[in-house]
Amino acid sequence: LKPVAVTGVGVVSPLGNDAASLFAALCAGRSGVRRLAGRSFERLQVGIGAPVDFDAAAHFPAARVRMLDRVSQFALCAASQAIAASAGALEAVDPRRAGVFIGTGMGGSETADDGYHTLYAEHSDRVKPYSVLMAMNNAPAAWIALDHRLEGPNLTYSTACSSSTVAIGEAARRIASGEVDVMVAGGAEAPLTFGTLMAWEALRTLASADANDPSASCRPFSRDRNGLVLGEGAAIVVLEDGARARARGAPIMAEITGYGLFTDASHITRPSIAGQAEAMRRALADAADDAAAIGYINAHGTGTAANDGVETAAIKEVFGARSRALAVSSTKSMHGHLLGAAGALELVASVLALAHGRIPPTINLRVPDPECDLDYVADGAREAAGLRAAMTNSFAFGGTNAVLVARAA
Amino acid sequence: MTTLERLQQMLTRDFELQPGALVPGATLESLDIDSLRMIEILFSVEEAFGISVPAEPAELRARVHTLGDLAGYIDELVNAKAAQAPA
Repeated sequence: LKPVAVTGVGVVSPLGNDAASLFAALCAGRSGVRRLAGRSFERLQVGIGAPVDFDAAAHFPAARVRMLDRVSQFALCAASQAIAASAGALEAVDPRRAGVFIGTGMGGSETADDGYHTLYAEHSDRVKPYSVLMAMNNAPAAWIALDHRLEGPNLTYSTACSSSTVAIGEAARRIASGEVDVMVAGGAEAPLTFGTLMAWEALRTLASADANDPSASCRPFSRDRNGLVLGEGAAIVVLEDGARARARGAPIMAEITGYGLFTDASHITRPSIAGQAEAMRRALADAADDAAAIGYINAHGTGTAANDGVETAAIKEVFGARSRALAVSSTKSMHGHLLGAAGALELVASVLALAHGRIPPTINLRVPDPECDLDYVADGAREAAGLRAAMTNSFAFGGTNAVLVARAA
Repeated sequence: MTTLERLQQMLTRDFELQPGALVPGATLESLDIDSLRMIEILFSVEEAFGISVPAEPAELRARVHTLGDLAGYIDELVNAKAAQAPA
């Protein structure tokens, strides 16, 4: 199998709209969670989230904006950043051997929300002419391919919270098998609309706003955790045949060396120790020699009562005594849960941790939980100059557990 | 303002077309208005002129080739609606 290099990353996130801003904010322990403002949001019970500060007009002409749901706007910006950062991954590539795999849970949910508002609330009998093209789940991937003329496989994965982990893992496999030379892969999500937020509230899985400090509402691994906080954004990576990347002198940030998938097939939402552990084991087996080098796990760490204890137990089951020596952090404590884009954003955080030798913390962990007894890097970012490999976990509603392993370049 | 002038104003302002190119004889093709863009233009036309353009792509394609054709078609629909309105 061919090695798979990460030669560019791009980010639109609640913690800044480029990789450098994201990583600086993560290491500073800054939260992107705040009270949300929007149409009908006064009717929400929770009303917090991790929004992106994004001015579409600064990135696209007006006529283009009318064709792009927010989720595609995020994806296109992140993809352009990643391609630029790769310093020429798409130059001299055969476009038929370059593709796009994107993960998204909800696709163009703003377009859907706007359309229904027009029909049901405004009693109009007309919806915007591009509604179908804006809301379709594969719009982000399609637009990236159109803008950059990538004629290879173009797929959209929708496995809820592991969508973009799957997209990146599957893209890495296509390169490893020699089918393609370059893949633009990642995830995008823009779920902070009234209808979507109401639906999540109904599931009773969202954290309530911290009374003193809304930005501290997401508290993974803390005994007083009480749910996840939704975020939005996109994270995209350029993956490239390692030999090709080396030959052209590309800026290799890390290599993807492991990918593991395992499906719970036991409950639509309830996580399972066995399922999470098996996905990790499969990724470690795939990563072979790098398994023993893992020093950091970017946890799924949603901040729900159910996940964090189960994930801790699963990590202990897989790593045994060595689990105590691992740094495990949930960056969701800062950027929130980006659903279909979460895995990609957390892989980018892991790649940046490897590239900078620095591990981002878990914030808001103030009350130890006996069920959660690993090293969650709760006392701020940590220098880790010798960090050689990292793992990132994504566990989804629907049961698709996906894990990636990355190695320092 | 004539229908053509209103149309020219809309296409310049909302669709970023060059005013100089928007002559009555200009074909939709020459203005780079493909079927997808046309759908969006009709949506705006319906709103601006308070009319409903029948959803018959074939008829539209047969009747409207130039900007002048489109202005004429809009006038026809506006007049038809006025004739139907209760006195």
